[in-house]
Amino acid sequence: MTGGRTDRALQDDVIRALSDARYRASAEWRRRALADPDRVERYARFLARHFYYERAVHFFKYSRALARVTGRRPEAALTSSAFDALLPTLVLGSRETAAAVARIVVAYLGAGPAVVPYLPDLLRYEEAMMVVEAGSRVWRDGGNGDDGRGRGVAPRTVEGTVLLELAYDLPAVLPKLLQPWMDVPPAPERPIKLLVARSPHGRVAVARSDESVAAVIELADGKRTLQDLATDARLDLPTLEATVKNLVELGAVRFSTGS
Amino acid sequence: MTQVTIGAFYNPHLGKELAQADGIDHLAMADPPATADPWWPAIRERYTLLLHDYLGQLSEPLDERSIQRARGLAELYRTPWVAEHFQCLHTEDGRYNLNYVFPPLYTEEFLDRFVRNANALKGRLDQPLVMENIPGFFDVKASQMLEPVWLRRFFEATGVGFLLDLPHVWLEAHYHDISPRRWLVEFPLDHVVELHVAGVEHDRDLDGPWIAPAEPSDEMLDFAAYAVTRCPRARAVTFDAFSPSLTAEVLLRSVERIRGAL
Repeated sequence: MTGGRTDRALQDDVIRALSDARYRASAEWRRRALADPDRVERYARFLARHFYYERAVHFFKYSRALARVTGRRPEAALTSSAFDALLPTLVLGSRETAAAVARIVVAYLGAGPAVVPYLPDLLRYEEAMMVVEAGSRVWRDGGNGDDGRGRGVAPRTVEGTVLLELAYDLPAVLPKLLQPWMDVPPAPERPIKLLVARSPHGRVAVARSDESVAAVIELADGKRTLQDLATDARLDLPTLEATVKNLVELGAVRFSTGS
Repeated sequence: MTQVTIGAFYNPHLGKELAQADGIDHLAMADPPATADPWWPAIRERYTLLLHDYLGQLSEPLDERSIQRARGLAELYRTPWVAEHFQCLHTEDGRYNLNYVFPPLYTEEFLDRFVRNANALKGRLDQPLVMENIPGFFDVKASQMLEPVWLRRFFEATGVGFLLDLPHVWLEAHYHDISPRRWLVEFPLDHVVELHVAGVEHDRDLDGPWIAPAEPSDEMLDFAAYAVTRCPRARAVTFDAFSPSLTAEVLLRSVERIRGAL
């Protein structure tokens, strides 16, 4: 214990200061005088660039594989003045910051030569992956056997879940982009819907979507029961239950557990 | 001192070169192999593999899911020891996460937490546990003791092995304006099982040096040679670079130069 607070709480305060630029600039943090403010600021900026470097390389890996023809690597956007301008408001891991950084990466990659017809779709897909991954997560299971799925009766679409409508069938080409290629692998031009969701532990999953999936995602509000949902989505109950089960596995839907 | 092996980290984008390389005794694994990694079977067959993944932060007890993951990876790699870091990088409520190794406060409370949770983890593993020191770029005034003292008490209370990251020691010495060798000898070197050696480069944000996927300098290699003579139980030295920007040339030359320096 230090000054009436546990050391663990103090550590959390330091972690928050390094993560949240506005908190770092606040009188509340500065009054504590726990560390040299200049060093904390420099380290926070280093962490921010590292944090989003890892995400740009990971979530934009297909665009990165296309750098041979586009001449643009996603991580280069993180040394831009646009990224620097975000630093005074940035919160590591928040959905808002992920969206802002992803927009900068997309703008940079999209400004290259238009040599890949499906690049706009690909950038929307990669941007969605990066944004969906953001947000608080469960780091440790509680030990009570609850895996975060809950046991209620009214499913609810998890905040941040995204349905993408694309003009090109990207899943058909994505694995080929990561293999050796001479000419850019083509993507079939046919409309598809993809669901992008995240598990409570932070694992991002993508699945092809259909009308029943879209209906459940739109209607699952934590109040409608499975029977209500089946009626409103015009699905028979077994189909609805199977769809919901798959969506729970993906992390797109959870069951409300009440307060 | 026993014979030390010289190795590197498995970088999947260098899988082809590593599968065919000479002069590398072991590979540390920072991430599980990708399902589609064509080089993984050859890598697993050929090398001694060291588990060096993120298992969790020992400021809290690892949950059963994390323990089973650690056990599964240890079995997959047939690792001689399991490595973790002295880190506390996300808040207890999961809201903030640095996604980068960050040291705990060096206090009695954190010492008690790490000892308790490391002992619990050690009891669930079939291999010895080793723990790696993490550098601080700034001091937090709430700390109650110097890092080497805190580490010594941890190792004496747990019997866990020490993974000594030399660039981390070098960086702390640099930012405190003291000699790296003078700082190094404060650490509990008699517990060291493995050492990390790496390059450092100027970082624009820090306005100073930090770990980078680069070759170790001659100064760092001299420091490594000195450190190994002070670590009687050391069994392995690993070139610590894991990055998509790392080239095969840098990795292979670094391992060769480390071997030459030792």
